[in-house]
Amino acid sequence: MRAPAAGDQAAREILLSMENVSLSFGGVNAISDVSFDIRKGEICAIIGPNGAGKTSMLNVINGFYTPRQGRITFKGVARAKMRPYEAAERGIARTFQNVALFRGMSALDNIMAGRTLKMKRGLLWQMLRYGPAMAEEVEHRRVAEEIIDFLHIKDIRKVQVGRLPYGLQKRVELGRALAMEPELLLLDEPMAGMNLEEKEDMSRFVLDVNQHFGTTIALIEHDMGVVMDLSDRVVVLDHGVKIADGTPDEVKSDRNVIDAYLGVAH
Amino acid sequence: MDLLYKIFLEPFVQMGTAPDLLVQTLWEGMVGGMLYALIALGFVLIFKASGVFNFAQGIMVVFAALTLIGLHAQGIPAFVALALTIAVMFALAWSVERIVLRPLVNQPDIILFMATFGITYFLIGFGELVFGGDPKTMITEELFLPKGSWDIKMLGGFVSLQKIDVAAAIIASIMVAVLSVFFSKTRIGRALRAVADSHKAALSVGISLEQIWVIVWFAAGLVALVTGIMWGARSNVSFALEIIALKALPVLILGGFTSIPGAIVGGLIIGVGEKLGEFYWGPLVGGGTDSWFAFVIALIFLMFRPQGLFGEKIIERV
Amino acid sequence: MLYREAGQYKTSYQADQAVFPLLQDRVGLLVILFVAYVVIPLTGNDFLINAVMTPFLIFSLAAIGLNLLTGYTGLLSLGSGAFMGVGAYACYKLTTYFPDVNIIIWIVASGFVAALVGAIFGLPSLRIKGFYLAIATLAAQFFLEWSFTRVAWLYNHNVSGAIEVPQRTLFGVPITGPNATAETRYLIVLTIVVGMTWVASNIVHGRIGRMWMAVRDMDIAAELMGIRLLPTKLLAFAVSSFYCGVAGAMMVFLWYGGAESTVFSINQSFTILFMIIIGGLGSLLGAYLGAALIFVLPIVLRFVPPKLGIPVHAATVEHITFMIVGALIIFFLIVEPHGLARLWQIGKQKLRVWPFPY
Repeated sequence: MRAPAAGDQAAREILLSMENVSLSFGGVNAISDVSFDIRKGEICAIIGPNGAGKTSMLNVINGFYTPRQGRITFKGVARAKMRPYEAAERGIARTFQNVALFRGMSALDNIMAGRTLKMKRGLLWQMLRYGPAMAEEVEHRRVAEEIIDFLHIKDIRKVQVGRLPYGLQKRVELGRALAMEPELLLLDEPMAGMNLEEKEDMSRFVLDVNQHFGTTIALIEHDMGVVMDLSDRVVVLDHGVKIADGTPDEVKSDRNVIDAYLGVAH
Repeated sequence: MDLLYKIFLEPFVQMGTAPDLLVQTLWEGMVGGMLYALIALGFVLIFKASGVFNFAQGIMVVFAALTLIGLHAQGIPAFVALALTIAVMFALAWSVERIVLRPLVNQPDIILFMATFGITYFLIGFGELVFGGDPKTMITEELFLPKGSWDIKMLGGFVSLQKIDVAAAIIASIMVAVLSVFFSKTRIGRALRAVADSHKAALSVGISLEQIWVIVWFAAGLVALVTGIMWGARSNVSFALEIIALKALPVLILGGFTSIPGAIVGGLIIGVGEKLGEFYWGPLVGGGTDSWFAFVIALIFLMFRPQGLFGEKIIERV
Repeated sequence: MLYREAGQYKTSYQADQAVFPLLQDRVGLLVILFVAYVVIPLTGNDFLINAVMTPFLIFSLAAIGLNLLTGYTGLLSLGSGAFMGVGAYACYKLTTYFPDVNIIIWIVASGFVAALVGAIFGLPSLRIKGFYLAIATLAAQFFLEWSFTRVAWLYNHNVSGAIEVPQRTLFGVPITGPNATAETRYLIVLTIVVGMTWVASNIVHGRIGRMWMAVRDMDIAAELMGIRLLPTKLLAFAVSSFYCGVAGAMMVFLWYGGAESTVFSINQSFTILFMIIIGGLGSLLGAYLGAALIFVLPIVLRFVPPKLGIPVHAATVEHITFMIVGALIIFFLIVEPHGLARLWQIGKQKLRVWPFPY
């Protein structure tokens, strides 16, 4: 259990607010009428059984899917429709359930690619790779190296990521998302398929990111132990409907949640 | 103003005043389109069953036709040569599976696509080496295919139908019917569709990929042979056909990559469209528009309806 | 032991971000440049310079262009031959209208025309990928090829339908047309190709190169990281076509001396595509290796068997070339999808530990 963060939940500023969001694919409802808030600086876990709409929810948040209805307010600005790159520009980064690294590139290049939005030199300077373009390259290389240090992946920085073992790929992917210096970081099952040791490492990174950089984190995770330890708040989805929302303790004792997970005769 | 007149009015006036010419053009377009559809059909067969986009289908048409002519030129009777050609197409299917497809199972589609470029070039080189590069005449009489034409009086003029074209249409229809039944009703047909969805999944339920691929490439080879005979009867057989065969690709864009009816409808649309366009509007831009018409139509189609006429919208997942 | 980085410490990120961080590579490059600029022009005969080196360099440049699009950005194009044609015809028109401007400027400028045309035909790439896009580029190929034949303005209404290169000079020395020597033309081609290779290498090693590769490897993830797909893909089309366009202009002005539309047919597109498949997708070195192999292969087949006492017809050589190229494509796709360039990497790794096995 985390120590309660300074101040309390209600006092914190709302970073992202989802109001009555619904999403459907050809008549099938993936998410129906879900509302919740994510507050600045917190770690919010989205949990639920398979097919509950968790990944779809992340896809809605960063604009990959457009909701059928509902309002999404990020940093005080409501939006109806947003392209994924606009979400990135506004400070939402993300990792994927099935690692979505750029497989043909080195770990370093993957992280450098995460700096794309911060790099400004245009085609002409890029063609020369000299002067300001090189200075910019070096400046961002320095940031990338800080992230590499932070994640302890120094020895693999020049390795093509397609050849890395799964656990390290997940770590590089986190590094790539961190390189964007996001305000909101979406992690889709960051610990799926990991052994206990790797899970502990990854949990440590997630907490460090949250504490050192003050990044707000929304994560999907199946391991309840991890969820309860890491998160400030938990949102529970089932069949696209929100069934609970609160601190880990509240959620743990919630009747609906227990029913959803254990199944109940209706 | 004059230009607008020429684009929007004159062609239609022409159509109205000489309806027999219009019918003749439509017929020519349909026959051409049918041949595109036949090539596209070969593509669809292979794509359905292996997810491979077989660029070499056009070359297989030429190769089959050249083999038939070449064998006959050696003094082998026509129908024996035909049987031998079928055997050659089977050998081709078998080698393609053994040498190209098997080592590339589960590779990205685009790699398999490029591998069929390799097959194309190999077959061109091999075919020309063995049969020579000069254009040849198809052995139509020996195969009892009809010659000459029917001239039908209608609409104040006459429309001329080549008998071979009519025969081609009939044979093509029979072939399509047989293939459709094969795909939907037989056990192998169902296995084919399973393989198309996922190589791995099909393997895991005990479908033999090797067998399926040989069968389907052989079927495509047979379609190629029929196409080659029909096409060869209309013009000479040479590797120049390769360029024309590429028009089956836009046909597929229109019809979708997995739909046999789509291939046929797409083929007819492209065939009729390019003939009408060339005949009535082509002269405005100097003619020869049929070299790109089909591709530009496909391009426009891709921008607005990438899934084709009959395809479903694809939902992307991450 | 010959090729080791041991002892070469990099003390700054700048040095580590260099294109050739290793001393051996830099020395090797200088040796190659020395041979290309000094040894070949001084010692080579006309055949070597005009029929081997010049076209090899031109094809390499076109292959680099296509590789930027197909190898780096993952967009398969079958229209590179036509984009070369756009460069050639643009250069021809430009030098017709402004004969006093130096032809080298027009050769490079014609790349911009090709880039514009390429970007227009790249528009569908937003919505389609893979072989769908390949078919869309065929539309560019056939439409442009048709324009080269039917739009008489493009070839100044010549009765022959061909373009003929007028004589142009640089500092009084003829560099195009029949009076230009093979050496002069070779040196100009070499300079342009070296310069443009350097630029291409800079682009692919920087931000834009990473954006392209990100789109190639995982376009969805790239977009969620803030990379706008359409501008990125269009830029790849434009830069790629620029390279192809310049290669096409050089092909007509500095090698053939004249051309018809058939030079820029679909077969040209395929030739260039095969160069990068065999040389290595996503590698600039691969473009050179592939161009060398595909271009030199028929020459070797034509001249070596007669020396061994085996007579071959020109046609036979062509057919066998087709067969070998086809087989090589399949071979490389199966055995080493990264082509000759990857084999080169493996060779370097072997050299690093030589004479020990590992």
